[in-house]
Amino acid sequence: MTLTIATSVDQAIALLASGARPIAGGTDLVVGARQGKAPLPDQLVAIDRIAELAELTSTDSETRIGAGVTHARLMTDGLIIERHTAIADAAALVGSPATRNVGTLGGNVMNGSPAMDTGAPLIVMGAEAELRSADGTRRVTMGDLWTGPGQISARDDELCTSLVIPAGGPGSGSAYVRLEYRRAMEIAVVGAAAAVTLSDGVLTSIRVALTAVAPVIIEIGDLDNLIGGAPDRALHGAVAAAARDQATPISDLRATDEYRRHTIGVMAARAVDAAARRAAGEQIPVPVNRSLGIGAAQ
Amino acid sequence: MNPSSPMSPSSPMSQQINLTVNGMTWPVAVETSRNLCSVLRTEIGLTGTKEGCDDCECGACMVLLDGQPINSCSYLAAQADGREITTVEGLADGDELHPLQRNILSAGGVQCGFCTPGMLMSAYALLDRNPEPSIEEIRIGLSGNLCRCTGYARILTAVHETAVELNGA
Amino acid sequence: MSLTEIPAFARADGPDKVSGLGRYTADLTLTGMAHAAFRYADVPHGRIVELDTSPARAMSGVVAVITDADVPDIYLSAEIADRTLFARDVVRYEGEVVAAVAAVTPEIARAAAAAIVVRYEVLPAVTDIEAALGENSPLVHESWDSYATSGDVVRDRNTAMRSELHRGDADAAMATADVVVSGRYVADASHAVPIEPRAVVAEWQGDHLTVHTSTQVPFDARSRICETLELPTSRVRVIVPHLGGGFGGKCGAHFEPHIAALAKVAKRPVKLVFSRYEEFIAPDRRREGMIVDVATGVKHDGTIVARAAWLGIDNGAYMADATFFPQLAAMHVAGPYRTGSLKIEADLVYTNRQPSGSVRAPTAPQACWAIESHTDEIAVALDMDPIEFRRRNLVATGDVGPMGQVYDEIGALECLELATASAQASADQKPLGPDEALGVSMGWWPTFAVAAGAFAKMHADGTVQLVTGGQECGTGAVMTLRNLAADELGIDPELIELVYQDTAVAPEGPGASGSQTLLNHGRAVEVASQQIAAQLRELAADHLEAAPEDIVLAESKASVAGAPAASVAFTELVERAGAELLGTASVEMPEYPELPTSSTCIGDQGMGAWLAPQFSCHVARVAVDRDTGVVRVSEVHTAHDSGTIINLMGAHGQVEGGVLMGVGQALTEGTRYDDEGRQRNAGLLEYKLQTIADAPSIHTQFVEIATPNAGPRGAKGLAEAPNVATAGAIANALAKVIGQRVRELPMTAERVWRAQTADQSSTTTEQDQS
Ligand SMILES: Cc1cc2nc3c(=O)[nH]c(=O)nc-3n(C[C@H](O)[C@H](O)[C@H](O)COP(=O)(O)OP(=O)(O)OC[C@H]3O[C@@H](n4cnc5c(N)ncnc54)[C@H](O)[C@@H]3O)c2cc1C
Ligand code: FES
Ligand code: FES
Repeated sequence: MTLTIATSVDQAIALLASGARPIAGGTDLVVGARQGKAPLPDQLVAIDRIAELAELTSTDSETRIGAGVTHARLMTDGLIIERHTAIADAAALVGSPATRNVGTLGGNVMNGSPAMDTGAPLIVMGAEAELRSADGTRRVTMGDLWTGPGQISARDDELCTSLVIPAGGPGSGSAYVRLEYRRAMEIAVVGAAAAVTLSDGVLTSIRVALTAVAPVIIEIGDLDNLIGGAPDRALHGAVAAAARDQATPISDLRATDEYRRHTIGVMAARAVDAAARRAAGEQIPVPVNRSLGIGAAQ
Repeated sequence: MNPSSPMSPSSPMSQQINLTVNGMTWPVAVETSRNLCSVLRTEIGLTGTKEGCDDCECGACMVLLDGQPINSCSYLAAQADGREITTVEGLADGDELHPLQRNILSAGGVQCGFCTPGMLMSAYALLDRNPEPSIEEIRIGLSGNLCRCTGYARILTAVHETAVELNGA
Repeated sequence: MSLTEIPAFARADGPDKVSGLGRYTADLTLTGMAHAAFRYADVPHGRIVELDTSPARAMSGVVAVITDADVPDIYLSAEIADRTLFARDVVRYEGEVVAAVAAVTPEIARAAAAAIVVRYEVLPAVTDIEAALGENSPLVHESWDSYATSGDVVRDRNTAMRSELHRGDADAAMATADVVVSGRYVADASHAVPIEPRAVVAEWQGDHLTVHTSTQVPFDARSRICETLELPTSRVRVIVPHLGGGFGGKCGAHFEPHIAALAKVAKRPVKLVFSRYEEFIAPDRRREGMIVDVATGVKHDGTIVARAAWLGIDNGAYMADATFFPQLAAMHVAGPYRTGSLKIEADLVYTNRQPSGSVRAPTAPQACWAIESHTDEIAVALDMDPIEFRRRNLVATGDVGPMGQVYDEIGALECLELATASAQASADQKPLGPDEALGVSMGWWPTFAVAAGAFAKMHADGTVQLVTGGQECGTGAVMTLRNLAADELGIDPELIELVYQDTAVAPEGPGASGSQTLLNHGRAVEVASQQIAAQLRELAADHLEAAPEDIVLAESKASVAGAPAASVAFTELVERAGAELLGTASVEMPEYPELPTSSTCIGDQGMGAWLAPQFSCHVARVAVDRDTGVVRVSEVHTAHDSGTIINLMGAHGQVEGGVLMGVGQALTEGTRYDDEGRQRNAGLLEYKLQTIADAPSIHTQFVEIATPNAGPRGAKGLAEAPNVATAGAIANALAKVIGQRVRELPMTAERVWRAQTADQSSTTTEQDQS
């Protein structure tokens, strides 16, 4: 087994082409190996010292988050909190401060777990992953990237360099909430992200995506009929019903399918509520889970 | 303290790396799959860093990597090549305990002590980046460190008192 | 402050622990040391049809491989001799050790253990307590009746042991009740989870064995080694380095004999360090699952006339130290109340699961949760305030306990008043929200007096060595022993050095088990110190020309009462004596009156243990997220009667740790099994301890009554008591918020959600007494 510490994207890509696997924070890869889930790959290329991957830049129309940006940075970065609040909500819930220090957005995305927290926020914001290989660069939507639990459509020789996210317009707000049994060190039992836009108190766009209720993170379809309505209880109810309807949860150690189906409705409604309140200008600090006492009244 | 024992079968998989631990640089040959916790404990002989779980949940192995807390049980030593590591043994200034060490003791935040090194490292990193944490911020800052003995109350007090002390308030 | 200047109230082992320089067992390395790995059964119930260790032996780097064939033919006993060191013929739980390997690296050892070929004829697994009692249930032990037992074990097939507690005619008394409330409560198994996984290092020098191990009871470890490897006690030395917590999970002996046997074959030291997974599945210490079926008859005025109950307790595959569980659980179901007539039957049941054993207040948190839930349900049925109902029925000084013991000074009622007042005061300040409530629970725990010894030496420089069989597992109780001795001797505790955790030098004692350190080792330390004090008085009397009884010892000096100016230093007295002063104490178990009521006697904890019990009341402030069932505990108010408190900071630490463990048991800590008896959550992500982010604020008061039948200065124990009442308090608060009872422990979010969607109330029957 070997590990090479890469300092440039080109070097990393060359190593990937010769069969190496990338390691960023290692919080999925090494922990998984330690638990015996999957052995470590024979050749590793460490990508955490590649400056380019740690860049976080923005224009008026989009935000580009380097794949190597850590959760710790995402949850405190002013631009992310302002524009892509749901991502900050999600990043702030990942593991512990130590996990967030080294764990990266790229690692979260490329690990492809249906319980990953940044996935639903990325979907509702219409993010795309930029993949680079010796053959060139391409972009894929999150929906196209994730193909099954722990499975992604990216090729082994492709490095995810960044996540590109359209900037939300005025009146937009987003939030991510998850069900957790304790206030830290949890994996989402279920979770939901919402991004909405309000104009004069009326909904002009809404997207909702769900965590841990299907083989991949899924977006709730057919919400367009809700546009034009107010962000009220009826809306929450409609979103909850749609979430329960479209979820295909399984039973496992953490929850039964029945309980997941029920709570995904609760989470979806809460995400929409928080997103709409943010869209209306209310300051709900990141992460929503802790500031609203999600999981239990304060 | 290098792995010179005739018993350890020399592995073709090993890599030569340099780890700077508590200010001292250690050239060590490690197998790529070895985690930092095990290298610190065996190759470098610093056993203050503990190992308490298999799934990166307990925080007993917490050390600082370039000043940031990481779970050394789940970090490959090879990936830390050339970087600065601080372990609990590096907190005291000679014989002089760091205020966190002193306060966790005097507040009653140490019982069996197995969580203590990891707890101290998380607390140290927290105060480093946030010298005046709220109680809630201390809770979140230490949330990756499990303690079974104390119920955390006195650990919380100790970190809070240290912040106040260090800020000269 | 430096490493050498720690204030007197801090732990003596503190600098070691905060500096990272102290050694725990896993930190030890000996020259030439090999590493051990076990091959576990993997199947919960199976007959071994092939066991071939040759693939492991053939691996390079492997220095020893042993199985049942390589150790003496001995059946282990804890009242029932039902097992061998290594599996023999049949494996009965997934974590049973089939073979052990020693190799030059841990990796090779693990690979070699995995290379051993074991094939089984899989046998039907017994996993359900009630089904196990059925006529047609498969047996965990085919030849259960051939096992040797000590004493009068009542047993039958899968019933490893049965205990009954009777007082009066419960059936007749029940018929006189105005209201009978009955309910069923089911608690999952859980775990001690010390943060240090256990470790053992064994080393032979000729025919002398030294074992460094993370046990709470070094003398038990020694006797198990001697028993199974047929060694004389004098050649076995057990040393415990710093111990990273135990909570009962490290009581007794575990794998010390296995590693000693390996080291013998390997002809080199061998070290075992458990992974967290192994720590979950292999040791014979698990908090037992339990079913409580209980009915209580009450009068309209709140008088309890009768209680009848059946308890099913999951013993797991082998008898570890659970022999006293049925009786202990029965006492908790009787409760610290005047419960009238009693008929309580408890079955300890074999299953194909990990053996159950002492975990912090064994049986109590579960049984207490059940009975305190039940107590609130009775109050509701009577339309009475639960606090008032408890007030009317709590045992008080002079009352007769379930087994006939007459209580001397006890503070149960004071605990109730203090804890409830504290919680109420907080709720007055910060009113309860619509999803919040306070819940109350009482708890109690016996005080186990057993024999113990101590040595003390005062040296010519005035320092003292105190040698105790006590064991420091974090509780600080051993540290407290210094204060006792310092007080007797009139010296600064800093002058006293504790020598402990080494069976070669210390007199035998119960170690850190059963909240006994202060109680038993403390009594011995007092006597040993008093012996030295007496010698100092004699010497000083001579020197100061006064009667020994007039000599006052203070600040390392002796003087005559009333004339402090003329004093003589201890150093001078010891010099005059010509040799260091020695104290040697051996305290017996106190004599107790006979038990007047019937109760089966195996594992008897009857009269003595419950003469001076510890009482507690916990009040929890709980918030419920009704939509998801997630419960959060924001405050716990406690009051404890543990007699005199000798080390206040240590005492608070015990309560706080116990409460948080109780919150975990209440909400998130439960072992899940598959249908065959394998643990599904043997790791810290899925077996969820409470984090600091979850921890409630804890407000503790002590009711300090110097109980006559207790230990030094009227102190009782305090390590287990705080772990008893919390889950019950949370349950009662939760029931108030959601208007439903959650009848399973832990009361997970999903269970809370389910309870809200289905009526799970207990049965209340009004009986016409007109
Ligand atoms: C204690 C703990 C708690 C956790 N809690 C959470 C949680 O609450 N929510 C959550 O979502 N996750 C959680 N995780 C999982 C993990 O921390 C996150 O998924 C994290 O974002 C992974 O990032 P990483 O950099 O550590 O990934 P790594 O482990 O380094 O990599 C993960 C995978 O992605 C690949 N990869 C990494 N970077 C790239 C890239 N740029 N291009 C191509 N492939 C790449 C790797 O080859 C590997 O297959 C937790 C983990 C731990 C140990
Ligand atoms: S050893 Fe438990 S988190 Fe590293
Ligand atoms: S002091 Fe024992 S685990 Fe924290």
